[in-house]
Amino acid sequence: MKTTSAGTIESMDCLVTVSEGSPGSGVTVAITGSSAARFSTAMKKTVLATAQELACSGDMTIAVQDNGALDLVLAARTKAAVLRFTGGAA
Amino acid sequence: MRLRRTKLYLPGNNPNMLLRGHLFGSDGVILDLEDAVALSEKDTARILIQQVLKRGEFGECEVTVRINGMDTDLWRQDIEAVVPFGVHGVRVPKVENPGDMQLLDEALSEIEDKAGIAQGSTLIFCLLETALGIHRAYDIASSTKRIAGICPGGEDLTADLHTSRSDSGVELVGPRRMVVLAAHAAGVCALDTVFSRITDEEGLREETEFVKQLGFEGKSVIHPNQIPIIHSVFTPTEKEIDKAKRIVAAAKDAAKRGLGAVQVDGKMVDRPVVKRAEFTLQRAGITQEEVQ
Repeated sequence: MKTTSAGTIESMDCLVTVSEGSPGSGVTVAITGSSAARFSTAMKKTVLATAQELACSGDMTIAVQDNGALDLVLAARTKAAVLRFTGGAA
Repeated sequence: MRLRRTKLYLPGNNPNMLLRGHLFGSDGVILDLEDAVALSEKDTARILIQQVLKRGEFGECEVTVRINGMDTDLWRQDIEAVVPFGVHGVRVPKVENPGDMQLLDEALSEIEDKAGIAQGSTLIFCLLETALGIHRAYDIASSTKRIAGICPGGEDLTADLHTSRSDSGVELVGPRRMVVLAAHAAGVCALDTVFSRITDEEGLREETEFVKQLGFEGKSVIHPNQIPIIHSVFTPTEKEIDKAKRIVAAAKDAAKRGLGAVQVDGKMVDRPVVKRAEFTLQRAGITQEEVQ
């Protein structure tokens, strides 16, 4: 199964991993880590908005392992991981 | 005049440093896409820096991005990723060829045009890290109007000179003098290289005093603890400021009265002394208008 990732689990960062989703699942997001309990809704929104900006239309799972990443870092890591997955240019 | 006493390097793929780096009080920050970023992470660092430029805060810091060298196939992607999003300039490593700076100038102009940024607003700072780069310092510094500063290398340069770094720094005295001469002849900033012994505060102070005396206007910084030491060396004392104010005020008064000669504290001062006093006030952040 194809998998790509971007980021780290160091402080103020997050590790975003993109893998193939099951057929028809679209883009699904899973958040774990330090901010997941309080901010998972907002974080999912950022991840989905970033995927949408990149015109992701396939089935993929985006897993975020967070260690206190700000919204802009989450967006950057998501963008990098998705572009690596789709083969797009940074 | 923008102060460039300190420019702090921040690793381009480290959110913690990129987001907090400007809080340490340096005059500028250098978001590093070159040596601090592994080849396999250049893409993620570009995207991260782009986001930080778009949405982050840098206060009054001059923000530059150290791009990858013109001898790689990465530099063009680097400038395309960062220039549209509000950098003051780019820092280019291992510059040896004035023609490369003209090529970079053209590429920056294209990006500025597309992004609706004023042409020429993105400055270029050149790192001269080889013997050839130092030898061509003036030609490089005067190769385009965008060049705002030149800086000698440290480790790379000493390796190219077939020597090594010493505590006294004697191996860099010649290159530093050449950079200062070339920079001032071309009308750009002379900026010094990093001091790598981060726990040696006295050594840093001595080196900073030495390079200030040579004619450098600031240093690159690799650790926040180095910032206040360098600032204290480059910032004029109250006594120096007071004397400079009196010289500039006397020069203004003499000009008003149509006199060429200026007398301060019983001594005649000439134009170079006035010019130096004006520079002292600039370093202290005092404008000409503030001097009575």
